[in-house]
Amino acid sequence: MIKTLNQKISLLLLAIAIGYLYLSYNLKEYPYVPVDSDLVPKVLGYLLIVLAIALFFDKSSETEDEKAKRVVPKKEIIVMAAVGGMIFIYIFLFEILGFLLTTFLFILACSAFLGYRKWGTSLIVALVFPGVLYYVFNYLLQIRLPQGILPF
Amino acid sequence: MGGLDGLLQGFQVAFSIEGLLFVFIGVFIGTFIGMMPGLGPISAIAIMIPVTYGMEPSTALVMMAGVYYGAVFGGSTASILLNAPGISGTVATAFDGYPMAQRGEAGKALAIAAVSSFVGGTVSVVLLMLFAPALSQVAVTFGPPEYFALMFMGLTAISSLSEGSTIKALISATLGFMVVTVGIDGQTGTPRFTFNNPNLLEGIDFLVIALGLFALAEVCFLIINRKDTSLSDKANVGSTRLKKEDLKEMRGPMSRQSFLGFVLGVLPGAGATIASFIGYITEKKIAKKPEEFGKGSVRGLSAPETANNAATSGAFVPLLSLGIPGSGTTAVMLGAFLVLGIQPGPLLVQDHPDIFWGIIASMYIGNIILLVLNLPLIPYISKLLKIPRPLLISLVIIFSLIGVYSVSFNVFHLYVLLFFGVIGYLMRLSSFPAAPFILAFILGGMMEQSLRQALTASNGDYSIFITEPISLTLLIISLLSFLVPLVRKRISTR
Repeated sequence: MIKTLNQKISLLLLAIAIGYLYLSYNLKEYPYVPVDSDLVPKVLGYLLIVLAIALFFDKSSETEDEKAKRVVPKKEIIVMAAVGGMIFIYIFLFEILGFLLTTFLFILACSAFLGYRKWGTSLIVALVFPGVLYYVFNYLLQIRLPQGILPF
Repeated sequence: MGGLDGLLQGFQVAFSIEGLLFVFIGVFIGTFIGMMPGLGPISAIAIMIPVTYGMEPSTALVMMAGVYYGAVFGGSTASILLNAPGISGTVATAFDGYPMAQRGEAGKALAIAAVSSFVGGTVSVVLLMLFAPALSQVAVTFGPPEYFALMFMGLTAISSLSEGSTIKALISATLGFMVVTVGIDGQTGTPRFTFNNPNLLEGIDFLVIALGLFALAEVCFLIINRKDTSLSDKANVGSTRLKKEDLKEMRGPMSRQSFLGFVLGVLPGAGATIASFIGYITEKKIAKKPEEFGKGSVRGLSAPETANNAATSGAFVPLLSLGIPGSGTTAVMLGAFLVLGIQPGPLLVQDHPDIFWGIIASMYIGNIILLVLNLPLIPYISKLLKIPRPLLISLVIIFSLIGVYSVSFNVFHLYVLLFFGVIGYLMRLSSFPAAPFILAFILGGMMEQSLRQALTASNGDYSIFITEPISLTLLIISLLSFLVPLVRKRISTR
């Protein structure tokens, strides 16, 4: 009888709580303190179990607003997943190609994918924005962003 | 008293050319980010934190104050112009602000909001200046049991007083607390929940959580609404001049709501949202013409705006005097302070009065700049909303990623950021509030530490929490706070 979204979530939370508790019970002991590092995690694990059960039996139904919020067209989910994928690739290439190059490519690709096709503007933003950021971080704030394969 | 000197010194920083420039930049960027649907002060502050690295702390502080007030005002602007409150604190602003804007008086509505925010914010900072040092005098005597009880109260309050399901809020807080236990335990050196991954030994940085759960998750909503052009149509707002009658109308609500808002802001968990609603309702009750409310009433707009801003400053009282944030926004603000090497708490006033008063001064300046510079600039800032959404989305994503990289210099944490972005989005879809999560994440580490310190002192005896009178009182209040949602339910089902 798993009907509502809340009940599905509560089962997921239950699984998380059990996994977390399992790890908490296997924490290494440290005998020289009255309260060891496993106390708080154990309390949290059991607390989550209690809350997950409470959520499972929670009768308060969703409001119309909340239901409406959950309806996301399939097409948009694919778009979001694709952007997520692009971020993933960006992170993967970040230290290999360097900040300037990956950011340049990301801005061009992501904006075009989301429907912005004025290439001139895109190109300017993709050049200027990372350039300014790189200068500010590397030279003014002394925070080194990855240089990658470019010589600067 | 070193207070006045400190305050003057703070003003000196803020009134230097550099200081003014950074406040201005802060207010400008804050307003811009706050105007974006979904992006609120939490995202604005989190995005701007990396920019403050390497900055002079005093300069960084005034800039952050600017970002904060700017973002709050940006939220009001979106409520007034679009009827699309980005954050719950400005929902009540739309009740009368939007009808007024529809009448073609958007400029006037924005001016009322700005003046009311200014008055609410400034009165509240004065009160903060009077109360925070006194409260920290009391708090100096607090030991670990009291601190634990205090933080426990903060967490239960935000869960029980926030809107929506209390169970979901508590689950969110528990998960936030769980995430902070990842990493090496400070007391025993035991690695916890690291799965033998060396990248997790240091734990997860708070920016990963703040930017993931807020900025990245909110980008998802920007993606869905990327074709929405309603913002760019509203770029013309008209005159922002206020007539004498308007100011006269505003005087009542402003003077009352400044104080009421402050008091509600000080209470943990209550904060801006509740203050703005209560402000709106009380003004409607005592108004001579309550029928005007909801149709573009000056009082109806002034009240929630004053209360909202008074509460946001009031929320700084527990943050500055106890070092304990009572809301999601102040939790992120605490993160920003820590990055600058500032540890708020009872000792801040004693040991670093210059910093304490610097913060106060920057709050004054943030408010003033908001009124003097921001209001006339609103027509131009709203033109910025014409920036094509796809470009904007790419830039927000890049900012979030760079923000995390510049604290960790480790790509692993960028993947974690992406993960929390997805979690944040799913939480929003299933109506789990994210504020308790970030608050628990910030407070969790401190709570565990004080719990274990207290138990170490008592040799493992738990009764220490109920034999100390202050801690006992706070724990009882925490438990009583769960009666609030029950009572509310009873009322609403009636």
